[in-house]
Amino acid sequence: MNNLKKTKNSIRWVIALKEEAQVILDYYKLKPINEKTIYPIYKNEEETHWLIICGIGRNNAAASTAYLYAYSNASNYTSWINIGIAGSGKGNYRDLYLVDKISTYQRKKSTYPSTLPKATLPKMHLFTSDIPISDYSTYELIDMEGSAFFDIASKLTSKEFICLMKVISDGPENDIKEITKSKISNLIKENLLKIIDVISYYERLSEEEFQIIDKPKLFNEIKSKWHFSATQSYRLETLLRRIEIFCNKKDIEKTIKNCETSNSVINVLNTKIKNNLINWSKF
Amino acid sequence: MIETIYVEEAIQNHPKTKFILNKFKKSRIISINKYGEIFNKRNQNFRIQKANPCLILAHKKDNFVLPAPEGFGIGSSKNFYFSHMYNCIYDCRYCFLQGMYSSANYVIFVNFEDFDISIKKIIESNVDSKVTFFSGYDCDSLALENVTGFAKHILSIFRKYPQIEIEFRTKSIQKEPFLSVKPMRNVILAYSLMPELMSNSLDNKAPSISKRIRVISELASKGWKIGLRFDPLIHGENWKELYQELLENIYNNIFLDNLHSVSFGSLRFPKRMFKDIFKLYPNEPLFTSPLSLNNKMISYDIEIEEEMTSFCKNLSLKYINENQIFKCSI
Repeated sequence: MNNLKKTKNSIRWVIALKEEAQVILDYYKLKPINEKTIYPIYKNEEETHWLIICGIGRNNAAASTAYLYAYSNASNYTSWINIGIAGSGKGNYRDLYLVDKISTYQRKKSTYPSTLPKATLPKMHLFTSDIPISDYSTYELIDMEGSAFFDIASKLTSKEFICLMKVISDGPENDIKEITKSKISNLIKENLLKIIDVISYYERLSEEEFQIIDKPKLFNEIKSKWHFSATQSYRLETLLRRIEIFCNKKDIEKTIKNCETSNSVINVLNTKIKNNLINWSKF
Repeated sequence: MIETIYVEEAIQNHPKTKFILNKFKKSRIISINKYGEIFNKRNQNFRIQKANPCLILAHKKDNFVLPAPEGFGIGSSKNFYFSHMYNCIYDCRYCFLQGMYSSANYVIFVNFEDFDISIKKIIESNVDSKVTFFSGYDCDSLALENVTGFAKHILSIFRKYPQIEIEFRTKSIQKEPFLSVKPMRNVILAYSLMPELMSNSLDNKAPSISKRIRVISELASKGWKIGLRFDPLIHGENWKELYQELLENIYNNIFLDNLHSVSFGSLRFPKRMFKDIFKLYPNEPLFTSPLSLNNKMISYDIEIEEEMTSFCKNLSLKYINENQIFKCSI
């Protein structure tokens, strides 16, 4: 658990049922992890995708999201995905929808997930219920996990990295009692290409964020040569980020090579910035 | 293209809400209780939102008009500002709005009538003072004019008070609200400017400097008073040549009789705000500038600031009077 790889793109799936997850497990080649865990967890070889089967209900969704976060060492640039079936009186049976508003019985206020930009998929308002609902007239989409997943995931990352997708499985003309395990798998399978397309956006987003927050190239190298306190480390990181824009690695190494202390490294880098005259025609 | 518009339930039937929604027929409309449910949440990524912002239509409850901070004025004894909108459609890398809100979505307050009441109250309680109002402190005052019609609306208020000045601060090239009415001597159209080369890198999504100068020239020739705001002054290679070229270009191309004022301001960020903006855009060339902490502000060293301000001021004095020049210090 503590020796996990730091991956550039990072996706975490929270899915209620194995039948809903199976197509995802197959496509992304996710295998069960070799440890006994509270909820079943799967991951791919590169450890970029992790998936947890949370079971039905809000409590399971909340607990498993937090559990997967801790277990998989997710970062603040990890994208969180919840996909599953939902009832609906308004959408089309078998179609995939993005969720951009969530309500519950328990809470007066709604929550508002972001959706990926320029999405071709339709969007709907999700109602998360603690009991199965057969009156479909009031709500666009009905599930049993979405609100809890979103509440916890939005404490772990910013809401632009969270996505909820629902495939309509039942409604006034498709009785909830007729849902079978194979029907569930097929509903997800029929929408796999659309799901992959959505996920590729979140993989890119996660990777871009990683590039932005990753430590500057020379940071660890410099830290291994001189001793830096926590405050000095922060200063070094900030200075390197700024200098790397106008100086290449060799120039920076040359600049600091005669420094005897961490303090003099910081001073020399600081002077380099003080003397920098930006050539605006280059940017 | 605005994909999603959040609308507060309380103003769903407000005429301005309907007017604005009518312009976005393809957008998804989501009903909300209060704009803070979307706008004030902490778990948001400003940079990602900025690439595809949503619109929020809301009702402003209070604080319609506020006293302007010290150092914001252009000669009046009392200065006030109001903002019908939070956030800006432009993405200028030095802008304080990047560190101001956790959200990059645009909030438009549709109850313009309440701004009118507050403005009138302030005017009536300051009859003995020289008063200037500023529109566009938490936003660009004209950038979304074709959506909101706010400038056109507010002009009608100030037409009744010719002794009270109003400044619209902008980078926009919107001309319509001004070309369709007679020039008003109490209105200042103030444009933020910097050398084109710097603007190309820093004023993302904003109209080019040459387009802004063309609009300034046209409005000045029609009789509108113009303010030139060189704020912030940006340092870099050949900055003297770049600013000289810009200043001479402007002064030689506008009708100087209608130049109300010129102000210069240095690049400056409150320390906390700089930290937030740097975190959002660590690879931004602007932050390779010789910036350091001076009096709780991140800015150029005082020598650089003074050299830039006095260079631009001295050059301007060849064209305008000293009493037309102001320093922005906020």
